Amino acid sequence: MSERALRAVAAAVLGVDDARARVVAARAVRLAGAFPRPVAAGLRAAAVTVNAAAYARTGTGLAALTPDRREAVCAAVTALPGGAQLLDALKTVLLLAASDTAVAAMPRQARADRLPARPDRLPARPDPLPARPDPPLTCITAAEWPARTSADVVVVGSGAGGAVAAREFARAGARVVVVEEGRRFTVDEFRRLPPADRFVSLYRDGGATLALGRPPVLLPQGRGVGGTTLVNSGTCYRTPTRVLRRWRDAYGVPVADPAHFDRLLDEVEALLAVAPQPTDVLGRNGALALAGARRLGWRAAPLRRNAPGCAGSCQCAVGCPRNAKNGVHLNALPQACAAGAVIVTGARVRRLLVTGGRAAGVRFGEHEILAPLVVVAAGAVETPRLLRRSGLGGHPQLGRNLAVHPAVSVAGRFAEPVVSWSGVLQSVGIEELHDDGVLIEATAGPPGLVSFVPPGYGRTLRAQLDGADRLATLGAMVADVPGGRVGARTVRYRLAPTDADRLREAIVAMGRVLLAAGADEVLTGIEARPYARTADELAAAAASAAPADLHLAAFHPGGTARMGADPARAPVDPAGRLRGVHGVLVVDASALPTCPEVNPQLSIMALALAVSRAAA
Amino acid sequence: MRTAFREVMTGDVRLAGEPAARAMRLELRAELPGLLHPWMAATAEVTGHVHVAGSGDDPAAPDWADDPAATGILEIAPLRARRIRYRLSFTTADGRRLHLDGWKSIRLGRPVRTMTRLPATVLDDSGRVVGEARLRFALTRQLLPMAVSVRTRTDPPPTAADLLRPRWRGRPGRLEVWYATITEPRTGTGLWLHHELVAPGDGAAPYAHGWTGVFPAGAAPVLARFGPVPWRAPDGPEVYRAGEVTVSADRLRGSAGDLSWDLRRCGGGAPLYTFPRWAWRHDVLPAAQIVPLPAATFTGTLRYGQTVVELARAPGNIARIDGHGNAARWAWLHADLGGGDVCEVVAAVAARPWLSRLPALPMVRLRVGGVDLPGGDPLLGAARLRADLDLPHWTVTGRLGGARLRIDVIQPADRTLAVEYVNPDGSPVVCHNTERAHARIVVERRTGGQWRTWRSWTLDGTAHAEVGRRE
Ligand SMILES: Cc1cc2nc3c(=O)[nH]c(=O)nc-3n(C[C@H](O)[C@H](O)[C@H](O)COP(=O)(O)OP(=O)(O)OC[C@H]3O[C@@H](n4cnc5c(N)ncnc54)[C@H](O)[C@@H]3O)c2cc1C
Ligand code: SF4
Repeated sequence: MSERALRAVAAAVLGVDDARARVVAARAVRLAGAFPRPVAAGLRAAAVTVNAAAYARTGTGLAALTPDRREAVCAAVTALPGGAQLLDALKTVLLLAASDTAVAAMPRQARADRLPARPDRLPARPDPLPARPDPPLTCITAAEWPARTSADVVVVGSGAGGAVAAREFARAGARVVVVEEGRRFTVDEFRRLPPADRFVSLYRDGGATLALGRPPVLLPQGRGVGGTTLVNSGTCYRTPTRVLRRWRDAYGVPVADPAHFDRLLDEVEALLAVAPQPTDVLGRNGALALAGARRLGWRAAPLRRNAPGCAGSCQCAVGCPRNAKNGVHLNALPQACAAGAVIVTGARVRRLLVTGGRAAGVRFGEHEILAPLVVVAAGAVETPRLLRRSGLGGHPQLGRNLAVHPAVSVAGRFAEPVVSWSGVLQSVGIEELHDDGVLIEATAGPPGLVSFVPPGYGRTLRAQLDGADRLATLGAMVADVPGGRVGARTVRYRLAPTDADRLREAIVAMGRVLLAAGADEVLTGIEARPYARTADELAAAAASAAPADLHLAAFHPGGTARMGADPARAPVDPAGRLRGVHGVLVVDASALPTCPEVNPQLSIMALALAVSRAAA
Repeated sequence: MRTAFREVMTGDVRLAGEPAARAMRLELRAELPGLLHPWMAATAEVTGHVHVAGSGDDPAAPDWADDPAATGILEIAPLRARRIRYRLSFTTADGRRLHLDGWKSIRLGRPVRTMTRLPATVLDDSGRVVGEARLRFALTRQLLPMAVSVRTRTDPPPTAADLLRPRWRGRPGRLEVWYATITEPRTGTGLWLHHELVAPGDGAAPYAHGWTGVFPAGAAPVLARFGPVPWRAPDGPEVYRAGEVTVSADRLRGSAGDLSWDLRRCGGGAPLYTFPRWAWRHDVLPAAQIVPLPAATFTGTLRYGQTVVELARAPGNIARIDGHGNAARWAWLHADLGGGDVCEVVAAVAARPWLSRLPALPMVRLRVGGVDLPGGDPLLGAARLRADLDLPHWTVTGRLGGARLRIDVIQPADRTLAVEYVNPDGSPVVCHNTERAHARIVVERRTGGQWRTWRSWTLDGTAHAEVGRRE
């Protein structure tokens, strides 16, 4: 993307002066380097469209226009068919780029200089407390790894599922090699590097993975030693009993029997040191969620989390700077390494080697590892792709049945500062509507890095951002009908009409919590009616939104190689074995039979534990 | 028919902890069963010369390795597995035993490049990486000599006496077995003579022991053990001795409890390789079994309790096992089909636990009219067969070359002995053995678009069978 073309667009969209726009544009170009090609191309197209619109209206480029006229151009673009989406995408990226240049990237002194009177506006409190040291891991980069090796078990992917499997097999005495596409991140980097830089390197596609559809869904996935648990929010929900019964009875998965699965969940909870989040560091965002729910008489409580010693620095999504949050790189993987496992980093597995109907190993780059058992745990999007690339995509349901647990978020504007980025990133769960598949969680984040996108362009947006410290944000996820499909390059997701209804219901419910907590107005995230001050206005705003108008993000993809007893419906059998070949196990989110209706890491890890323990 | 050829590869090896690579040269002589062709999947035995130069800067430095007696195997399956794997053991100048493991990974889009490059890893006995080698077959210089070197020949096979000789060379954690099973046709009595040499995994002194089972018709089987006694390498024609129990190619004799036997062997047929010859010669598999004397007859006397059985040309066999110990689950069948024909089955599930869920690999050798089926490597044939190992009824089904095979074995409980013993690693195993099993073997061929029975055999109480498991 050309930086010059972006500069004027940045100034127009964010309503900042040219000097700031220059810095933001430079950063945005750098970030976009990590994006998948279609997304980068889309952004370029958006920038060109905005410039072209300027020529069409005024006869000159955007750069030469006054702020007023630039905003008028933006308004004109949103009126074009598809224009709103284009501009939205641009805004999201520019906000990410700006999140850095605004404050975090500056030396601390400069931050203080710039915001002398408002120390509460710093996105992250300087963290004087020492971090927990990183435990030892045996990591070897692909460049240093011999071209030809053999092992007893190769595990592809070091995330939630892969880490647990690696530990189980290593403890059973197998020679285990974990092959991970991402690199190793240290707590030192999480303390040193600015959030936006961490963001683009910690996530696949720089965090810009999209599931195509109407509306498109942002689908971020972690990439590194520890997988998505490096960047997840640390929320730990046990799989609900009703979901386990469904897996056992409708999908024929015996290990999902609640009595048995509960013991596995206990074990995973002990591994991750799960406990209710103490309220002292919860932060105002969580406190407001609790207060609002209490006033409505709704079930709500601080979430159970795997972050003992969490200081509420609110950076879970870009790597915990204190090592408080127990990603698997801090427990299961070190335990695997202690039992002899080795992690090869920077190694993207191209394909599984298969000989005569049996797994024979994996290939990455010019490297091959021969092993009679390959455990695939590359995540719900990459696992089906890898299996297809390996000629193992024969099952018609592989890559289908993608459930994403789609999420919407809303914000409430309060008279007093909230400073939502000071506190626990995901702090409070509101379960009032959970029986209906809607789970509300108070979720904040560093500005620019949260999925809530404030409304408007130019000076309107600027004003919103300047008042961002007075916003509290909530998110809600909906247990969805599996409507997605993973292709070789794209992910498609069709939002079921009933799920769109429940997302609207969730917007209203979250708005009511915020109003009950004392918000002056609710930012609905809906383009046509961005503000609501009463429950009626909320309902009207939600009703006005077509499914395609919803801003969706999804953090919990699963089900693309689902487990089940019926060979026709499930690519993976109840013991975790991929059908149609010997010696391939699937132990990540893709093996989940359905959306677990809660944040899934415990469910994934317990399932991985069951599968690998039975095989080891 | 066997094919022999020579291959020379040159390149370098970078040893762990050294900044510069050293020059390396590999001269190999390979010999494999059958002809060399792209669709093959076979394992060749290799011998050769491994040379690794001394330190790079000093031309006068002594060689790091110069071993003219390297040995190993070459797994050749350029199209079927897209891989040609080299596994060689050699000794360095300072006496360390090292192992080179590498393979050419054939990609059809880049055939020349991938067929000529051999990346390999050099490991020590404990599996630690010692170095990484990059070798190349220089097409311009080496193709012609290699092509010219290809020879096919038929060489004298090793004799039964050769194959019966003990193989143990002092390594801990080994189990070697000589066993004979015999059916006395007039009384219907079955006999099982099982001789073991155990070298425990903890390095303790090796010992010899075993047992004898008699399976009389119409009475419960009888078991008696002999040994353990310290292992002593036998001499003369003897290949095994445990106290007064001895085995030689011509004679089996000894006593255990109130059981005694003295039997002379006659005939036997050509050795039957249930496991491929290379697997027997180089211990790359956890264990291997062969039958040096598959269709012999035995004459002599067997006594147990008050009973005396005179054997006159009673059909039986002598087989061998060599390996680390027993599989997690296994089954064995020896069926004498008459007239020198035999069917031998060994189906095993590796003891390594993470593989125990994989289906058993049934190795089947069917000798009919002097021809052994399947034609190729029995290990590769195993992929097309499956075994369901249950008691009293177990089966092996699938493809045997172009034919369809079904084997049913029934081991009636009242005719079966459960023998408990320990592996070299100390783990307990129980094998359920009978020399009076029933078996039915059916081979079908496809003719006129239909599967039709080609040959079938029914053995009524004369099949020898066993199912073992870690219980
Ligand atoms: C922002 C965010 C917040 C979240 N918060 C929570 C939460 O609070 N609570 C919760 O329960 N869940 C949360 N989740 C979800 C949870 O973290 C994931 O569901 C879980 O980590 C998925 O585990 P997995 O084993 O399927 O895959 P992952 O953890 O994603 O691991 C897959 C790994 O495989 C690697 N890989 C992929 N392809 C290849 C290849 N070809 N070769 C080698 N390696 C490869 C990837 O780089 C990655 O490291 C969150 C997710 C996100 C994105
Ligand atoms: S909020 Fe998240 S990033 Fe901050 S200390 Fe707690 S766990 Fe770590």
